[in-house]
Amino acid sequence: MTQSEIIEALLAFIDQDGASEAEFERMALAVFAYQFAHNAPYRRFAIQRGRTTLTVRSWRDIPAVPISAFKTLTLSCTPPEAAERIFMTSGTTQGGVRGKSHHPTMAVWSRSMLVNFRRRFMAGRERITMGILFPDEQAMPNSSLAHYLALAKRECGTPDSEGFIGASGLDLPRLIAALERAEASGEPYALLGASFSFVHLLDALAAQGRRFALPEGSRILDTGGFKGQSREMGADAFYDALSVTLGVPREACINMYGMTELSTQFYDDGNAVCPPVKSGPHWIRSRVVDPVSGRDLPEGTTGVLVHHDLAHFNCASAILTEDAGVMVEGGFRLLGRVDGADSKGCSMAVEEFLRAARG
Amino acid sequence: MIETAGHLPGLPATEVAWRTLDFSAWGERAQVRVPELTAKQAGALAGHVREQARSYLRTLPVSQIVATLDAAIARLLDRDDPCRRRAEAVLPIVTGYDRESVRLGLSGYLRSFRAPQLQRFLAEDFANPAVLDGFQPAMKGGFTRAHGPQLLLHIWAGNVPGLSLWSLISGLLVKAGTVGKVASAEPLLAGWFAQILAEIDPKLGECLAVVWWKGGDAEAERAWLREADTVIAYGGNDALTAIRERVPVTARFLPHGHRIGFGLIGAEALDTRRAGPLARLVAQDVARWEQQGCYSPQMLFVARGGAVSPREFAERVSQELGALRLRHPRRALSVAEAAGVADWRSHEEMRGFDEDGTVVLGEAGDGWSVVFSGAAQLLAPSALNRTLKIVAVDSLDEVPPLVSPARAYLQTAAVAASPRELFRIAALLGEAGVTRICGFGAMAAPEAGWHNDGRFNLLDLVRLTEIEQSAERAADDLAPYVD
Repeated sequence: MTQSEIIEALLAFIDQDGASEAEFERMALAVFAYQFAHNAPYRRFAIQRGRTTLTVRSWRDIPAVPISAFKTLTLSCTPPEAAERIFMTSGTTQGGVRGKSHHPTMAVWSRSMLVNFRRRFMAGRERITMGILFPDEQAMPNSSLAHYLALAKRECGTPDSEGFIGASGLDLPRLIAALERAEASGEPYALLGASFSFVHLLDALAAQGRRFALPEGSRILDTGGFKGQSREMGADAFYDALSVTLGVPREACINMYGMTELSTQFYDDGNAVCPPVKSGPHWIRSRVVDPVSGRDLPEGTTGVLVHHDLAHFNCASAILTEDAGVMVEGGFRLLGRVDGADSKGCSMAVEEFLRAARG
Repeated sequence: MIETAGHLPGLPATEVAWRTLDFSAWGERAQVRVPELTAKQAGALAGHVREQARSYLRTLPVSQIVATLDAAIARLLDRDDPCRRRAEAVLPIVTGYDRESVRLGLSGYLRSFRAPQLQRFLAEDFANPAVLDGFQPAMKGGFTRAHGPQLLLHIWAGNVPGLSLWSLISGLLVKAGTVGKVASAEPLLAGWFAQILAEIDPKLGECLAVVWWKGGDAEAERAWLREADTVIAYGGNDALTAIRERVPVTARFLPHGHRIGFGLIGAEALDTRRAGPLARLVAQDVARWEQQGCYSPQMLFVARGGAVSPREFAERVSQELGALRLRHPRRALSVAEAAGVADWRSHEEMRGFDEDGTVVLGEAGDGWSVVFSGAAQLLAPSALNRTLKIVAVDSLDEVPPLVSPARAYLQTAAVAASPRELFRIAALLGEAGVTRICGFGAMAAPEAGWHNDGRFNLLDLVRLTEIEQSAERAADDLAPYVD
């Protein structure tokens, strides 16, 4: 398939109501064939693993690229300089080296995001007033989250939606004013942003002794964890604090799980109970594998998550994450990052060595 | 099965809070109860041990301590002894190492602490071990006596069975009142050893305690650090830094950080007759304790120019690891460890794409991983758990500059080279920071009396009291028989 053919096929696939195993498989094999043909580093990787278009028969056989590969290899089916957009990881995990994902067009990414966002966050509403707790796209042009939030605001936010993180951080007075307006208006309000920004907000409101009771139907979307940018909070403490401080029940606090190395996001249906079940739309499927052998683990066994995102057509659709998870009915539970293990004895381990080298 | 860890002389078990740690491996489960002492109990226990050591242990001649330790080790070496049987039954479940590895590893290791070997420990550090018993004439004149710590605190780390015995026994040889904190990953052996000692010599059993607290529990740690005058700690640099900050400045702190071991193989060792057996020894060093020991090899530098090329040698090591796996299967890895192995392996695969001569041998699902690199590389850790990188070099002279940047983490290097070459390269390695050079197959079995991390096991623990000649002369003037 050519690039325009694959894009057209994917847009149509996303617009379908759902996909059977066979339909997903067919599309996945087509995307794999496309990537195998046009993405030279991925082809070498696949061959090294003994997987070619001749040997791969099922989507589960498609070799998953470890996300660290996005840091060392340029995984793109088109010349990287022709990309409309390059998303980069924050570089917090590996000494400033940033993983890159090239997007020759944003059409598939945006369709994937919006169709899924409307279904999982908007809860049937066309638009909602949004407050964004994350820098905008001008400040962070390579951030997939900044783009995600901009798209959400533009396509699903009311005109009075606004962002509250500027060059000097959280604009608390303006945000408090917006929350007061929302409280008075009786119209549902949505706060969306990085998990660590919510911690900053909670701390700031606690310092002032402020609490809000946002109108019924209000929602919160947090994503990304704390990444050392705020104090760490346990999930229960975090969602309890959000619901007490903002008056949004934990069932209406949605956590989005997304990655720079994907073009599709996962959501839960609220955080009344943690960790909740996460799931994605019909064009992404996940597996939990033994990272050493790459083989699927039985449901209920903890392993490392592999995502197979057809919308990430230009790079590598199958990725091996650094997230621990367990498959359950209706999706998977996310159990946090798999950090490199420290030695259990007195032998130096890679993680510690890197930490020491960074000083 | 339920085991109880620790040894708490003078503290009734019923007054202590116990926490249960769960272990499972090889299809079996074990529970280990570990004591959680209050600060008050810790203080009382420290006082008890200190006082018993003062009134009893310090009065024993060192030869008698050696005899008692020897008797205790003999029991642990006796495969019919109930305690040894328990160790063989429980340690595989607790540590995850296979039964045969535990059996062989324990026997090999414990042999270092029999009476003749303990004499060697003493002789290595003291020209005249009798300085531990009383004043002995000093070379410079006058007299010298060595005193061990009143209370020596060991903070052990890791799941290499018996690692704790090295410093525990060193402390007892210098008559230190001893408190050892066991690691959650292997909380049992030190306590068993203490109980055996107590059975052989009940009064000696009062002079040492084996305790537990959760690693990093600052409060529990502080309660003990207040009491000790000497602290030996094992762990990663982060953990050691945290402990050091809490050690009173008046106490002596002896840290043992994590290390990276490596090996060097000269071209002369790579003829067709020698390469096979050598590859087997390398594989044994790699598989022993899943490379968790400070002495475990993580990288191998192999010289070109032998009949067997470095690449072929890498294949042979990979085959030997494959064969070893049948007899000694790798222990089950945690998700984090497995992810670490996978990440290391795929990272090396990516390197191979750049065609720098990196080749990943074997399949991802194998229970081991060997990576061959045709280009010289700086010493760096592997993913442990039977993962090894083999780097080809033109000559062993290339190696010291490749390892010296990791100077702070060097300790053991195995060398296979001719005698002249061994001494020449040893000088360069010593300069680079290596403190122990051994043969392949012996990396995980340091000799009795080995100077761990290049330091003195016993001498670092003691404080000398010297009677100067002036005091002697002055005393002479005061003798009742003075003229």
